[in-house]
Amino acid sequence: MNAFVQYSVLNVLFAVLVSPLFMSLIKKVKALAQGRKGPSLFQMYYNLWKLLKKEVIYSSNSSWIMRVTPYVNITVMAVAALFVPLILIPQPVYGIGNIILFLYLLSLAKFFMALSGLDAGSAFGGMGSSREMTISALIETITIVVFAALAFALKTTNLHEMFLQILESNMLFLNPVLILISISVFIVLIVETARVPVDNPETHLELTMIHEAMILEQSGKNLALMEWSHAIKQLLFMGILINILFPWGIAVALTQYSIVVSMLAFLVKASVLAVAVGLFESSCAKSRLFHLPSLFTIALFFSVITILIEVFA
Amino acid sequence: MIAPALLDNLIKVLINLILATAAIIIVKRDVLSLVSTYSIQSLLLVFVASVLYMENANVMLLYLALLTLVSKAMIIPHFMERIQKKLNIKRDVEFHYLSPTSALFASVFIILVVYFFLFRILGELSLSNVFFLGATVGVSLTFMGMLIIFSRKQTITNIVGYLTMENGVLLFGLFLTELPLIIEALIVIDLIMLTLLATILAFGINSSIEEFHARLNPFKRFAAFKSRLLNNEGEDE
Repeated sequence: MNAFVQYSVLNVLFAVLVSPLFMSLIKKVKALAQGRKGPSLFQMYYNLWKLLKKEVIYSSNSSWIMRVTPYVNITVMAVAALFVPLILIPQPVYGIGNIILFLYLLSLAKFFMALSGLDAGSAFGGMGSSREMTISALIETITIVVFAALAFALKTTNLHEMFLQILESNMLFLNPVLILISISVFIVLIVETARVPVDNPETHLELTMIHEAMILEQSGKNLALMEWSHAIKQLLFMGILINILFPWGIAVALTQYSIVVSMLAFLVKASVLAVAVGLFESSCAKSRLFHLPSLFTIALFFSVITILIEVFA
Repeated sequence: MIAPALLDNLIKVLINLILATAAIIIVKRDVLSLVSTYSIQSLLLVFVASVLYMENANVMLLYLALLTLVSKAMIIPHFMERIQKKLNIKRDVEFHYLSPTSALFASVFIILVVYFFLFRILGELSLSNVFFLGATVGVSLTFMGMLIIFSRKQTITNIVGYLTMENGVLLFGLFLTELPLIIEALIVIDLIMLTLLATILAFGINSSIEEFHARLNPFKRFAAFKSRLLNNEGEDE
């Protein structure tokens, strides 16, 4: 049990501390792609620090949901961080890592976020919530099929066991199923973290914003928590993708040396992925809401194909 | 020598990527990226043929790979890009019968049906898994090309659909039958003629009658020159 506590503290702390870095890294890559200098890599930390010192102001119309949502979000993400091993795969899995529970945790956070968007009674918040729910109604089925394909291919529903299995089989880059799934997971990553073809994380334009609209009424500490939980969510999806495609370097035993190596390896791998996400974002324009299903269907197509290949070939 | 299991896996990955390019062709609206996706697809086919050559050491496969590389990955996309520039069509956003989303659903269905029928037909041949997968994806690719042809309105995308169909035939041929090189070469010549014709038509459609006259002018001058020459000969006598 002691080892479990160590794992939890390590993994959750790592996720919480490192996640803002990749938000700024993606911003930086996008800025460089546009020929701007871009913010410092630690800008997100400064932002969070600034927001944490600020006062929280609630709308007079808002209820307890507004007050509870930031804490629900950050807690849920911290719990979800247990499910995705970032630097250490604990050998007995301690009964965590179930993929279905992981997805439900994420939708719990999303549910509260959408409610808080409605709660303050502002038109923008309600619009954001409605859009977010529309998109998540479409993408969640696809996310489930994607993870079902992953579970089907690796014959387990436990994320830890999946990653361990990939790590142990030396199919360097050459498992056709995993390549197909990682395309789908990449699309899910883009959609779930509100990135460009779906949502534009930079704008505060009423016509385009989805995620930003929902947290428009949050202020001070609460806003900091919302943004932080968003960053953790992104890191978790990145962690899943990294562990599917390139798990090598992750520690399987808890020794000081292996942990340090695995932290460095994760930082390098995640930076590469973040650069890829930034370039992907720079390379396409935000698409219309009604064109989004074709992006989602590509993810669905690949996961269905994965299942077909697994069944037949 | 590379282990056969590794080669098999490599082929599977390549086949999957070919399917991925077909899916992208179905949903993409931007004409230039349609063409470049097609050339990537052809390049993947070249890789498949080369990996098969590593397994079988059949020289025919190498020739096929070379032929595909030169014609489908280089010449045809080049012509297509020229057509695109000339016609100045950047995007194909019109669809009939099927939206891209439902076309993708339909192609999943097609793959299932193709698999089912091929299994009924070829089940007794006891092929290896990879070969069966290749044959299935090949036939499905042909049907997906057909799907592209009938769900798009722009001629240039229809051509891409037709080319995709041919890639499907080639894939099927690579895995299941010994597609004779001569037939493949004939098909490639057909395809090049198709794109050439499309280029000529594209250039013709956009030019006005005056431009045609201007283009005919060299001939006129030639005729004048010839008649002068004849006249001179007459004067000499």
